[in-house]
Amino acid sequence: MSSPETVSLNIDGKDVTVPKGTTIYNAAKSVGIDIPVLCHLPGLEPVAVCRICAVDVGARVYAAACLRQAEPGMKVKTNTEPVVQARKTLLELLMADHPVPCEKHKELGSCELELLAEKEGVAASKNRFAPPPAPRKLDHSAANIAVNHNACILCDRCIRACTNVKQNFVIGRNGKGYVAQIGFDNDMPMGQSSCVSCGECMVSCPTGALTNVGFEAHLAGEKVDIEWLSKLPIFQGISAAFLQRNEGAVVKRPFKKGEIICREGEFGNTAFYLLEGKVDIFISSPVQRATKKDTRSFFGIVRKMANRLTQAGRDTEDPERMKYIPIDATVDLHLGNPTAQLGPGDLFGEMSALSFYPRSATVRASEDCVLLEMLRPVLQILQKNPAFKKEMDLKYKDRALANQLRSMPIFGSLTPEFIDELRNKVELVKYDPGTVIFSEGDPADALYIVRIGFVKVLKLFPGGELTLAYLHRGTYFGEMGLMGEMVRTATCTALDHVEVVRIKAVDFNLMLEKFPQVRAEFEKEIRNRQEQTKAITQIGQTSDVTMRDFLDQGLMKAQSLLLLDLERCTRCDECVRACADAHDGITRLVRDGLRFDRFLVATACRSCTDPLCMVGCPVGSIRRRNSLEIIIEDWCVGCGLCAEQCPYGNINLHPFDTREDDPDHPGMKKAQVRNKATVCDLCTEHEEPSCVYACPHDAAHRVNAQEFFTRHYVGTPKTAAR
Amino acid sequence: MPDPHQNLVSELSRHQHEHGYLTDTAIREIAEKMGLPMYKVYGVASFYPHYRFTPPPKAVVTLCRDLSCWMAGGGGRLKEMLSTLPDVEVKEVSCIGRCDAAPAGTVNEIPIRLNDYEQVVIWAQNPDLLEPPKPTSTPNRYAVDPYNTAEERYGAIRACLKGERTAEQVIATLKESGLRGLGGAGFPTGLKWELVRKEAARPKYIVCNADESEPATFKDRQIIEEIPHLTIEGMILAAFVSGAESGYFYIRHEYEKERLAMQSAIEDAYRRGVLGQRVLGTDFNFELSVFVSPGGYVQGEESALLEALEGSRGEPRNKPPFPGQKGLYGQPTVINNVETLAMVPCLLQKGVEWWRAQGKRGYAGLKFFSVSGHVNRPGVYLIPMGTTIREFIETAGGMKDGRKFKAVLPGGASSNILGPDKLDTPMDFKAMSEAGSMLGSGAMVVIAEGVDLIEAGANITRFFRNESCGKCVPCRLGSTKAVALLEDFLAGKTGAEKLQVLEDLNRTMSLTSICGLGQVALGPMISVLRNFPNEIKARADRAQPKS
Ligand SMILES: Cc1cc2nc3c(=O)[nH]c(=O)nc-3n(C[C@H](O)[C@H](O)[C@H](O)COP(=O)(O)O)c2cc1C
Ligand code: SF4
Ligand code: FES
Repeated sequence: MSSPETVSLNIDGKDVTVPKGTTIYNAAKSVGIDIPVLCHLPGLEPVAVCRICAVDVGARVYAAACLRQAEPGMKVKTNTEPVVQARKTLLELLMADHPVPCEKHKELGSCELELLAEKEGVAASKNRFAPPPAPRKLDHSAANIAVNHNACILCDRCIRACTNVKQNFVIGRNGKGYVAQIGFDNDMPMGQSSCVSCGECMVSCPTGALTNVGFEAHLAGEKVDIEWLSKLPIFQGISAAFLQRNEGAVVKRPFKKGEIICREGEFGNTAFYLLEGKVDIFISSPVQRATKKDTRSFFGIVRKMANRLTQAGRDTEDPERMKYIPIDATVDLHLGNPTAQLGPGDLFGEMSALSFYPRSATVRASEDCVLLEMLRPVLQILQKNPAFKKEMDLKYKDRALANQLRSMPIFGSLTPEFIDELRNKVELVKYDPGTVIFSEGDPADALYIVRIGFVKVLKLFPGGELTLAYLHRGTYFGEMGLMGEMVRTATCTALDHVEVVRIKAVDFNLMLEKFPQVRAEFEKEIRNRQEQTKAITQIGQTSDVTMRDFLDQGLMKAQSLLLLDLERCTRCDECVRACADAHDGITRLVRDGLRFDRFLVATACRSCTDPLCMVGCPVGSIRRRNSLEIIIEDWCVGCGLCAEQCPYGNINLHPFDTREDDPDHPGMKKAQVRNKATVCDLCTEHEEPSCVYACPHDAAHRVNAQEFFTRHYVGTPKTAAR
Repeated sequence: MPDPHQNLVSELSRHQHEHGYLTDTAIREIAEKMGLPMYKVYGVASFYPHYRFTPPPKAVVTLCRDLSCWMAGGGGRLKEMLSTLPDVEVKEVSCIGRCDAAPAGTVNEIPIRLNDYEQVVIWAQNPDLLEPPKPTSTPNRYAVDPYNTAEERYGAIRACLKGERTAEQVIATLKESGLRGLGGAGFPTGLKWELVRKEAARPKYIVCNADESEPATFKDRQIIEEIPHLTIEGMILAAFVSGAESGYFYIRHEYEKERLAMQSAIEDAYRRGVLGQRVLGTDFNFELSVFVSPGGYVQGEESALLEALEGSRGEPRNKPPFPGQKGLYGQPTVINNVETLAMVPCLLQKGVEWWRAQGKRGYAGLKFFSVSGHVNRPGVYLIPMGTTIREFIETAGGMKDGRKFKAVLPGGASSNILGPDKLDTPMDFKAMSEAGSMLGSGAMVVIAEGVDLIEAGANITRFFRNESCGKCVPCRLGSTKAVALLEDFLAGKTGAEKLQVLEDLNRTMSLTSICGLGQVALGPMISVLRNFPNEIKARADRAQPKS
């Protein structure tokens, strides 16, 4: 019987009465008839694009059962020979383009297309249609989800999942006809799109077009209950099924009071999120270097005395030096007392997890606590989750941003009130490895402060590009464009996973207006950077220097070389000793190295224009001074990354005796041997490097590479050149 | 109220018009400005062939590749000749509705004939030599124009507004006349108007479908240029009958000259007070404007057209609901073809009797037909319904250069191909359908001996593949696989027995595709295989090496 609210129809000979508005698919289901579907997913609004569910309703054309509403008196046939044949032909068409088995079927045996084809007896081997003319794109840019357009059947399920279910509005259809495919934003790689990694699309995908990037590693620790996990506020909005697939990449870890969670300098690939309890995060206080009493010459003693005198006040009063040590957490540590406390809701170890950097600090449970330890996939799910991101942004702005601003000498005169105000105006922006933040010539619209990762600054010049700097946490860039011509004077690229604080031009200008001192500082800094740039580009531009050797040996990239004139050198090693004397008994100079013409290029820091060593330091302790030389600050945690990075072997790790906080016995100190990286600092506190000064034969020269080679070789007949 | 002129498509078109192309930044900015997700903006921009993402060169030359132009030799060597020129872009496009001047193309959107290659090269190098065409100043007079002077125009709607004729009477007259949709589907017009009139929802809309993109169809082009006031009056009458207050004239972007003609006719109608608020001083309001299509044959499908008007990807909707119930913005909408609407005033003014008397052999009325292919005088003709194919060929000057007739597509590219045995079929909906084809959009392509019908069928199949919107599986994949198969066959890579699969594919596509495009895509090809079995054999014979 049908009333105005119900509809009676007949499906495959069965009379059915359903509420008005019921689809044929649901009506059939209510009497145990399963109409095959592909693009339809209960819970999503039907779109009827695959047509697999086409059924005979007695009209000229079939109706899509997933969408078409039951009508009174309708006679539906779901399984006649022609209906089945049409369904099979559709499956055959889809299978002709489908990689068999697709990723999902291979792994889980659950590709809906392949399962249905099998059920309907559509054999891949008997396909009557041509294979696709060319393979489609693979997109592996996202950390958690791999996109394979070859396996996509354009069912629009991900589109509906993203937009209707999760309201994230990222995925759509691009193009038209056979070339149409799904795309993210304006056809960006998924990893660079505004995708928040909620995983809903992947969970909705019937095939292997969107799959979870397999993560083999399984963390040791207490397995977490996914149900419980998905209820944590930080995982809000992320599909439970997606979390399920990343089960092995997140564990729950309880720590007892006093236990060490991670140690500075160790390599790590996880991040920690504090659920309960508090932890101390610290680095061993900047070390007073122990001195080795091994002075060989009288001259050395004198030199060292002189050193001592200057050393005391040296680094601490260096106006360029930061007052905070940037670490891999939402706080920074004060140089004088490098320790801080983190509590529930805090995250640390992001950089380690993202880019496998050494731990920047030691973390110890200051009371019993519970943490989530996670590998990159889960961290990235979190980072893309708007709720979590907002929380972290707030934390960072509340704690670290102000410190960072105050820590940078250039912002020294900002008032706390102004910093408070600024805090609410800045944006935090993330960049994937390799992303260009801005290009030379772009309009300048903001100042950036690096919060996470490394930024490469490079400039184009005829014939190539030159790296001006690598910027780490706590450094800023983008001021040149803002204060000058309003266009970018260099290109800045994210070297790894980078997050920056973006201060818009209007706010920046307001700051300069209010704080003339800051303006003056910036102007000074800009002059410095300009000079640095000029020096560097000049080296790059010496196009006349065509000497193969010179280029091959990377000398072009050097700004400062220690050259030993072999025609004068008597191998007396006075230079090496002088160096050791000047640097706590440890030489930074090895009298060996590449030969060029009649010179030996000694193994000592060249202050490259492209200082690779600066990339990756977890605590930002290696840096370049305005005067170009590279120095390593005392808080070096001895991880050795810089030594590994230096292509010329000019950085070495040396053991030092230290007394430092005993992590196993809180409150006590213990003697320890630590590694620290050393590099030639050009003895800048002296007029001349110790080695050069010490050479009795006038054979050692510290030279500006470009000047030297121009003077000696350019313009003269290029004998050495070919 | 939502306004198509402020929608995403309009915004993209405006941007492209100003800047020549769409950049990534433009996409972002438009998304931001309109508060739309970026995928939506890019999805729409990448759907329509009219939008480009690279700066335009000095000259963009298009070459039509569809049936009538293909039979006339198409672009021939032009593609190679032009592709070496600096700052010139050459691309093959679907039918541009200039089949009477085949082979046709454009230079910077100005229509040209492609037969003189040297001349085309000169135009490509100096596109400024070409003047944008203007609408004719001496339009023809047609029997279906009931008005002798401009002052008499809009008599039918005047009579309605004076109360001399009610909406019911208009519907009754249309029904009695048997007027059917002339856009291809042939739905009875009176019934359509009545259904929309009965819908309670407000507002309602009137849309005129001037997308005319079916290969070989160009009759609307001539109607728009020469008697636009009749179509406008048809729209006003539709509004009067159904209770709509706004209307859109949706025209393909390739019809620039025609757009100008329509634009000035609309302005004229506003001046005469038959458009706008309080038409002729009554309570009746009707606003009408032109909307330019961002391109693509599928936009002619009524629901796809509405999607474009709403600023979305122009993919056809699932039906029901039909536009009469849920059309533009989900509101009841009358959507009619240019010609259908143009016929209404004379029906009302001259009466059903007169209309019936215009037909031949017992068929009623007059109809505009486009004819192209191998006839001496291709063009648009207003002829009596019931005229036979043979008679019509004579009207169009007979077979080109006295060549022998081989086959005919009576109703545009989606109609089945008929052989000489059907030459005496009267041109009418019913008779054509009985003969195994259809009247369709009233576009006849005459094919002389010498044309390989398998190639012709493949050409048509390729057209549907090129124009498939890609929304549904049968059409997106079916048309692609069918073309792949045909091309393999034509290249001698696969045997004739393999073509058998096309029958199955055709059945599946016509039963399960969302819209008419996919439903008819393989029809013409199948009709060649069925009606001209010798074609396959002839090919096989030709392929045999002569001993
Ligand atoms: C693929 C496709 C293309 C179409 N193109 C046109 C067209 O260009 N012009 C047109 O009037 N109708 C076209 N139609 C028919 C329309 O969908 C619709 O039936 C027609 O506009 C209704 O008007 P009518 O009843 O006056 O013919 C097309 C249909 C399909 C399926
Ligand atoms: S039949 Fe073709 S054109 Fe029509 S909706 Fe399907 S894919 Fe689009
Ligand atoms: S399941 Fe109905 S069309 Fe795809």
